[in-house]
Amino acid sequence: MSLLHMQEVSSGYGTMRVIHGLNFSIEPGERIGLVGLNGHGKTTLISTIVGMTGWQDGSIEFMGQQIGGRRSHGVGRNTPKIVRSGIAIAPQGDAIFPGLSVEENLDSGAYTDGAWKTRKRRRDAVLEVFPPLRSRLKQSAGTLSGGERRMVSVGRALMADAKLYLVDEPSLGLAPKISIGLVAALCEIDLGDGAMLIAEQNLPLLSGKCDRILGMHAGELKEDVGEALGDIPPAAELS
Amino acid sequence: MIELLASALVLASMYGLVAVGISLTWSSVGMLNLAQGFVFTAGGYVAFLFAQYMAKNFSIRDGVILSLGVVLLGMLGSAVAGLVVGGLAFLPLHDRINFPVRGLIATLAISIIGTQLFMVIFGPQSKPLPQIFGIKRLKIGEFSIAYGQIGTIVVATIVLLLVTLWMRNSRRGLQMRAMMMNPLGANMVGVSVRTTGMIALALSGALSGLASVLLGQIFFVSPTSGVQPLIVGLIISLAGGLGSMPGTVAAAVLLGLAEAVTARYTEQSLVPFVQFALVIAILAFRPRGLGGVLEDVRE
Repeated sequence: MSLLHMQEVSSGYGTMRVIHGLNFSIEPGERIGLVGLNGHGKTTLISTIVGMTGWQDGSIEFMGQQIGGRRSHGVGRNTPKIVRSGIAIAPQGDAIFPGLSVEENLDSGAYTDGAWKTRKRRRDAVLEVFPPLRSRLKQSAGTLSGGERRMVSVGRALMADAKLYLVDEPSLGLAPKISIGLVAALCEIDLGDGAMLIAEQNLPLLSGKCDRILGMHAGELKEDVGEALGDIPPAAELS
Repeated sequence: MIELLASALVLASMYGLVAVGISLTWSSVGMLNLAQGFVFTAGGYVAFLFAQYMAKNFSIRDGVILSLGVVLLGMLGSAVAGLVVGGLAFLPLHDRINFPVRGLIATLAISIIGTQLFMVIFGPQSKPLPQIFGIKRLKIGEFSIAYGQIGTIVVATIVLLLVTLWMRNSRRGLQMRAMMMNPLGANMVGVSVRTTGMIALALSGALSGLASVLLGQIFFVSPTSGVQPLIVGLIISLAGGLGSMPGTVAAAVLLGLAEAVTARYTEQSLVPFVQFALVIAILAFRPRGLGGVLEDVRE
């Protein structure tokens, strides 16, 4: 059974349709790259999965449970429920909590009871992935640099006891060196039977590191563009 | 001097409880709750009904059980009133367009309707509440302070301290603070804005209910007795920096002191003038209120 199965999913805001009848599945253990230009629907696709677009239609099954359906009101009303069923999201930019300490920001990501009880261990695991945060645990997150804020945002998603991690544009607005490190760290995380979807504009950052790379163009998916663009050198060689 | 300080701190305790509630509601729910006065009065009436019931059926007119019951039921009554406000003004409106203005108008409507309802049910006469801390006075040298005043200050301080600790250390508190900083982000980490918002409204209500019962030591409960606490609570929460507990408490002490000093050395009618002048002065120098320097608050 697929972890996530989307069938004929459309969504948008007001009179604007951004996603056009999308069919797409994520299998357990997969790490998927989602590439495409600005404004072609990468963020909207992620928002659709967690019910944060203006309206949506079509079936979205997560671990056999329907989390999609037709909806034209209550933006984000189902999001906490969907998120708690096992989908962690690191949104575009960073929706961190500026007045809370880094530690509290991370803890707020441990939203299931199981994750909350094991939050110390989970925090340590996140600090393994993002060592620069270790010395900043007590510091207010609003005073961090852009790269560190992004680490907090992604780290907060990793704190969850989730089966599916949605990471939106981890490299956005970061210096090349920092974004390479961040994406490399993301790609090294052991997912077990979970899965991860990384939306990214910068294809070379992902190429060679994901199981599949999907292209997003004008609200439609192009399956596995990774092979077609196979001769692009991996990011490490670019720097 | 001690008497002046005591009356200033009593005022600060009551204003502080109401203002913290208003501030908490604004920063977490995003709604300026003009029905907080109605919520305040509701607790007073519930406490009054309880006292009346105890006097009639068990002839209990004072004692620990009555005092405890009055305080707890006053808080419970206001908490329920807070939930009613939430059910009418927050749940149906919060994800619609222009919620801050709609919420403001909805709570104003609830406030007006609620006040009239109290007028119809209980009549315009004021109702007395039992003296929960007794009527004795503590004598220190030539000064004397009523136990009621001491009790009010101690209880308000303890409760506000507990709320602060709860906000800082509990999981719910963390979720509520997360929602204050970034409601959208909180939604995305699984914090239900609706559930957390209702908890914030109930908590704000309970704090107002406590203030109502404590104020019952000095004034009687009447349909409009929530108006003054609402107005002063609003300006204190503005001066304190919406969403900041320490800032709000500091502003409450400042305005309580201003009121006590003004009433003592000039006349009572000048009190609102001095209070507003003080708040304008604070906001002129610190547009985000006193708390703006202490922590990040919702813009």
